[in-house]
Amino acid sequence: MEILDPTVEAATQPIAYVDRPGSLKGKRIGLIENTKYNSDKLLVKIGEILKKDYGASETRLFRKHNASVPAHEEIIVEVRKTCDVIVAGVGD
Amino acid sequence: MAVELTSKRYRVEDLDAVEFCFQQGWTDGLPVIPPTAERVEAMLAAARLDPKQEIAFITNRSVSITAEKVAINAVMAGCRPEYMGVVIAAVEGIGDPAWGYHGPGTSTGGAAVLMIVNGPIARQLDINSGDNLFGPGWRSSLTMGRALRLVMRNVCGSIPGLLDRGTLGHPGKISYVIAENEAESPWTPLHVERGFRPDQSTVTVMAAEGPHQFYNQLSPDAEGVLTTLADSMQHSGGAGRQPQYVVALAGEHMRTIAGSGWTKKEIRQFLFERTQNSLAHLKRTHRIPGEVQPGDESKMRPIVASPEDFLIVAAGGRAGSFSSFIPGWGSGNSSRATTKEVKR
Repeated sequence: MEILDPTVEAATQPIAYVDRPGSLKGKRIGLIENTKYNSDKLLVKIGEILKKDYGASETRLFRKHNASVPAHEEIIVEVRKTCDVIVAGVGD
Repeated sequence: MAVELTSKRYRVEDLDAVEFCFQQGWTDGLPVIPPTAERVEAMLAAARLDPKQEIAFITNRSVSITAEKVAINAVMAGCRPEYMGVVIAAVEGIGDPAWGYHGPGTSTGGAAVLMIVNGPIARQLDINSGDNLFGPGWRSSLTMGRALRLVMRNVCGSIPGLLDRGTLGHPGKISYVIAENEAESPWTPLHVERGFRPDQSTVTVMAAEGPHQFYNQLSPDAEGVLTTLADSMQHSGGAGRQPQYVVALAGEHMRTIAGSGWTKKEIRQFLFERTQNSLAHLKRTHRIPGEVQPGDESKMRPIVASPEDFLIVAAGGRAGSFSSFIPGWGSGNSSRATTKEVKR
């Protein structure tokens, strides 16, 4: 008997990663929180540490529509204009 | 119709084929029908589909679900070829961005896909709308839902313990298909409420918890029966997060409620008003965060965002003072029930 494969390979797509900065000194930090309880507090805390201990210049907090969707277009556009580094976190 | 199937082929001894499918990790834990080219072609022919046709694209997985892959999985699930149109519509439903595949396909919340079939196809294919509504006994119901689930597993990668991280899951994740009992229902069918004609056939998919049964043998009228239902729903799994809910009203309750002259719209409005919780209660019971503030005792939060988020269905056995409600997964804005026409 010959049978057919029910599975599929996800189409491969190239992802271009930006080089990681050597230092966070003077960098603008974007914090993207996913709306889960405490995720904002955790990210703000992380942002404070990045400023205090690593010399980041500023932080901006962005909020996704909900935890199950990617960051929406407005966030992407704004992040491109105003941030050098992103921290995205899941809170639960 | 000449078709060209492009899936990888495996040659196996006839007696080993089922075991081979287990070994490949292609099954849900139950035996499957070996998907031979002949069987897959019959499935595609019944729905008049080209194997390459894309039925849905799951963005976050970057996966195209083709008719060929749906047909292979439908064969494995035990579907007859004439079930293919319903399975296709269900796949379209979970591929709709409003359904939001990533959440229910992955979440610790453990959602199944509840499929509600409406219109003439439900009777043509003998999809169960009566006794033992959520249980075993009907090939069409059991195999269609299983086909959808095998597509999620084998094509989309929602494999339990890997990408499907449901903490508990529930038996509906094997198959979860009902039809509305339109022949006996006094009410407007679900698909007509959702914008289709009565003579169209549709599948509505909702990311869903298991069915919660309630009992009321005492009330002679709508208000009595629905008071019990509302009380049961008020503190159910989704309270505080405002998911959608399906309410399946079985024969006795259906007749009692209709005997009071209530429509589905009136049922929804009653439930909307009678299932609300105070913010104080939701905070005290740790369903929403925060300390109880002055005024929270009188600030009320509905369990759904809008009365329209109660999907009312006439379904279940004729006898017995039981009906059920089914909380949706997550919140209503992270996954919406979608309805697709069965076109084939």
